[in-house]
Amino acid sequence: MSNNYKVGDSIPEWVMESVSAERMRTMAAILRDPNPLHWDREAVANLNVGSATLPASLGKRTINQGPLGLSYMINMLHEWMGPECIKRFYMTFPQVVLDEDRVIAKGTITALREENNLQLADCDIWLEHAERGSLLIGKATVQLQ
Amino acid sequence: MKAMPPLEEITALAGHQFPGGRYKIEHWENYLLTGCTGGEVLPNNMVHPVAMFHVPIRGANTSIAEMFELGQAESDLSIIPEYYDWEMFEPLIEEVTYDITGKIVTAERRQNDLGQTYDWLQFCFEMRTPDNTLSARVTMAWQFTRNLL
Repeated sequence: MSNNYKVGDSIPEWVMESVSAERMRTMAAILRDPNPLHWDREAVANLNVGSATLPASLGKRTINQGPLGLSYMINMLHEWMGPECIKRFYMTFPQVVLDEDRVIAKGTITALREENNLQLADCDIWLEHAERGSLLIGKATVQLQ
Repeated sequence: MKAMPPLEEITALAGHQFPGGRYKIEHWENYLLTGCTGGEVLPNNMVHPVAMFHVPIRGANTSIAEMFELGQAESDLSIIPEYYDWEMFEPLIEEVTYDITGKIVTAERRQNDLGQTYDWLQFCFEMRTPDNTLSARVTMAWQFTRNLL
């Protein structure tokens, strides 16, 4: 490899200081998503909570759309390697992200390889919350600069 | 509580093709979408990849609601998105009209580690430029939980 990256290197973090209920509302409109959990705090407060994916104390906080949570990791990768860098992006959703959450997109390089003359890094990526741990977990293949 | 759909109705979904169609991501949509992510608008009219969440579905002339209905979802809350797998062969660009196709690849009845039954549907959508270049492929799997709520 012509660059200085190595397996185990961390990707510079990307922080969402406070997940915005207002952005969720705009996103719901773009997605034509009628689910009130993304824009009606009362609807969330009436949910049965405590399941595997919903924390026991949701309160009156709307639930972030899955794509918004994963987009924070996309932003992290773009700031790291540029806007065309992502070749593959795999995401799972073990926990929900709530409005006003402070979340940090993080990642590490798990493999380096060359394919079709491209220098690629396979990465583990995740969205971390200080108390609830990893909310979203995935993998990405990124073209190195 | 809804009755669990017959197994044969679920497995028959494998191979189901959505109508397909076209979708143009306009500048206003990309601008607002990118703003929702907290990121900066990308250069050279590139579309933020988060568009791959909803554009393939809408472009293939289906909807999340229809996909829920096909799998006979008990409710909106009964669906667990298992994974999204996005392959990006070239950047998506604003104002390009993409041809989009979509189908159900796999439809199976499964059990989780707790012995709870769910139906597992795997969808695949492809986005092509007007010159038939494959720009992106989205594969995703949803669990249709049964009798858990």
